[in-house]
Amino acid sequence: MELLDLFSWSILIPWILGMLFGVFVGATPGLTATMAVALIVPFSYHLADTRASLALIIGVSFTAIFAGDIPATLLRIPGTPASAAATLDGHAMAKKGKGTLALLIDLFCSSLGGIVGVAMLVFLAPQLARFALKFSSYEYFWLGTLGLGISSMVSGGAIALGWVSAILGLTLSMVGMDIVSGAQRFTFGSTELMNGIEFIPVMIGLFGISEVLRLLSEWQPGVEERQPSKPSETASPGSFFRNDFREMFRALNIIWKKKWNFLRSSLTGSLIGALPGAGADIAAWGAYGAARKFSKKTESFGTGVEDGVVAPTSANNAAVGGAWIPALVFGIPGDAVTAIVLGAFLVYDIRPGPMLFEQDQGQVQGLFWIALITQFFLIPCGYLGVKFFGWILRARKALVIGAVILFSIVGAYSLRNSLFDVWVMLIFGVIGRFMEIRKAPLAPMILGLILGPMIEENLRTGLIKSSGSWAPFFQRPISLFFVLILGLTLVATGISKIRQLNAKSKP
Amino acid sequence: MKPNILFRKKNDSSVSRREFIGTTGGTLGAAIGISLGVGCSQKDSSNSESTDPAAYPSQPLSVICPWAAGGGTDRLSRFMAEKFSSLLGKPAVVVNRTGGSGAVGHHAGATAEPDGHTIMMATFELSTMRHMGISELSYQDYIPVMQLNADAAALIVKSDAPWNNVDELLETIQSKPGELKMSGTSTGGAWDLARAGFLLAADLPVSSVIWAPTKGSAPSIIELLGGHVDVICCSVPEASSQIEAGELRVLAVMSPERLDEYPDIPTVKEAGVDWEAVGWRGLALPLETPEAIVEKVTATAEEITASDEFKEFMNKNGFAIQLRSGAAFEEFLKSQDAQWKTVIEAAGYAK
Repeated sequence: MELLDLFSWSILIPWILGMLFGVFVGATPGLTATMAVALIVPFSYHLADTRASLALIIGVSFTAIFAGDIPATLLRIPGTPASAAATLDGHAMAKKGKGTLALLIDLFCSSLGGIVGVAMLVFLAPQLARFALKFSSYEYFWLGTLGLGISSMVSGGAIALGWVSAILGLTLSMVGMDIVSGAQRFTFGSTELMNGIEFIPVMIGLFGISEVLRLLSEWQPGVEERQPSKPSETASPGSFFRNDFREMFRALNIIWKKKWNFLRSSLTGSLIGALPGAGADIAAWGAYGAARKFSKKTESFGTGVEDGVVAPTSANNAAVGGAWIPALVFGIPGDAVTAIVLGAFLVYDIRPGPMLFEQDQGQVQGLFWIALITQFFLIPCGYLGVKFFGWILRARKALVIGAVILFSIVGAYSLRNSLFDVWVMLIFGVIGRFMEIRKAPLAPMILGLILGPMIEENLRTGLIKSSGSWAPFFQRPISLFFVLILGLTLVATGISKIRQLNAKSKP
Repeated sequence: MKPNILFRKKNDSSVSRREFIGTTGGTLGAAIGISLGVGCSQKDSSNSESTDPAAYPSQPLSVICPWAAGGGTDRLSRFMAEKFSSLLGKPAVVVNRTGGSGAVGHHAGATAEPDGHTIMMATFELSTMRHMGISELSYQDYIPVMQLNADAAALIVKSDAPWNNVDELLETIQSKPGELKMSGTSTGGAWDLARAGFLLAADLPVSSVIWAPTKGSAPSIIELLGGHVDVICCSVPEASSQIEAGELRVLAVMSPERLDEYPDIPTVKEAGVDWEAVGWRGLALPLETPEAIVEKVTATAEEITASDEFKEFMNKNGFAIQLRSGAAFEEFLKSQDAQWKTVIEAAGYAK
């Protein structure tokens, strides 16, 4: 596969169209990246050129996570679980009228983070994959705990409420069939509950429907139309793009100033992504937590600081490239999206696994080039997505609310064609609204629900493997490393809280 | 609507309420419209025309896949749906009804309108779910149409493992009960039951190896490569890329005879353990589907499976082809049901 061959219309057209499709699906809450790829794969069989098919599939799979950040920033509804961390500072910036800037920072960080991820894949894949093999149940247990711990401590609001939210999420994650013993827990004989509570309907409900309820509770008929609009959002079409160019340079300038944060986040992201048992969601929270700890203005995180946008968005895209490392080296997918992509590769006679790197240099290089160029195409495609959704959101509030409800219902239903999930979503919408009134952060709950099984299953499987001994959880070097990080984070957070209290008690 | 904490504004004006109702009402209407479109109308009006065998198929077909998009069963379902569509001239969509270890999808397949427009992609779990207490369903709740595939379980170790054959492995298990760690699926999953049955057939207790549950064969291969477990039980194609690369080694397969694709791998029977375990997939229709429609679906499935394209698809995906239609499939399902009932009870998984 020659590089220049990739730039022919027969390849570029499906590639770009695929990416636009990925942006649309990823940005629609409830329509997941997995679904986007699953829908596009049968379509790719009809393309005559194998490279065009591969470009189409890879294009879709790499765009969906950035696209998930768009509704996370503009509406505070994460389009994918990996975008939940973008609901903090990204959305706070949007509320200050800097939504476009936040999304442009996000877009460039996603593209650059993606490049770091692909670079790690190209240069370090076999080494990183060997390293990832050292991870077993013990390490994954701590990694999940760390991810959840960070999200509950950094999501804003009182830390105790963050923990309550995380524990609620953990409790919900216990519903369903337990893979360790095969027992059914809290299912009350319902087959729908047997697979547990799906996190996607919960996520849409908690973030989307609760936001709708908030908007409705603050509803003042006629008032909103007269609200002073932000200058950047109402300009004429001519200055519209000129303004955006200025914003783009601002965004790049900001990323340059935050380059160390960007680099740290991208590396963290691709390393976590390379672990077969962890993904972009933990990567985003890990990077966000680290950026917050290394920042001089820890307390301002969550109020719309740029560092808080740079960290999770570069990490979650770097993690996508990272996730390809075990997928290509072992032929073993780390998550559902990669699983579908690998399935499609088989059809195109690409057999991921240890032999791939040794036998077929041309094919591997072709894949790498497609993955890399996709990161550049992400900028125009993502930009169109940002503009399109920004434009929709400038419609009358009643229409926006209607559209959010529509997509929430369709999204929850289409996940597994189940009306049950629609009810789950609506119930969690109400729960989310109550939690917000009580100022409890929502993100730890969703993370608890997603990471709960990872934490619990690895704890119990670890204990099964060690015949009941706790020692490996503390003695294995990588486990110990995670324990230390977790301990330090707890202590540091405790100290900063005590300082805050002392500062307040002084007159 | 009483103003409550969610709609805290006490004096909702009639305008706002009307707008609110208008918005939600319109939205719900649109949502229902779209959902019906998305679901591709599995429950269209079942008028007399739709059950008329001569007119079959009169509406779009759906293939129910009880497992998630992207997995092996999903790939097979999508392939079959496409072929059904091109042979019968109606669109065919795959509906992934996941959950409950396959129980949700199998339930949907059994209770679908018996007019042939909803075809079930049944899997191995149908033979075990009733005995595991997951569901009331068994093979008797369907009209078996055609078995498509059967993948035999295999015992796989790292290439530098100390065992060269099943006898040596069994010797270690016997001399050090409860020390070796095995993995492959969740507890009670297909490959756990396969190894449990294998141990029982070798006169060893199920607890003589530790079963470390994982989400599936892929993560267990990683565990094996990392040296965190000693043996895994899964099908050969699932681990084929590692086997070909020389990182993993197959001790034996649990098939009745040696596999065509891997003639060098012995069966456990050759080692004196009288045991077979296969994971299977096949098509089924709801009970009470008219005879003529069953025949038409069977004929279509036979036409697909006779094609070179089917063989090529199965080979590329590493699925071993095993075709049994109608009565032969039912006979197979009956024997599976009995076999797994015994194992599940002996292993203590029965509810």
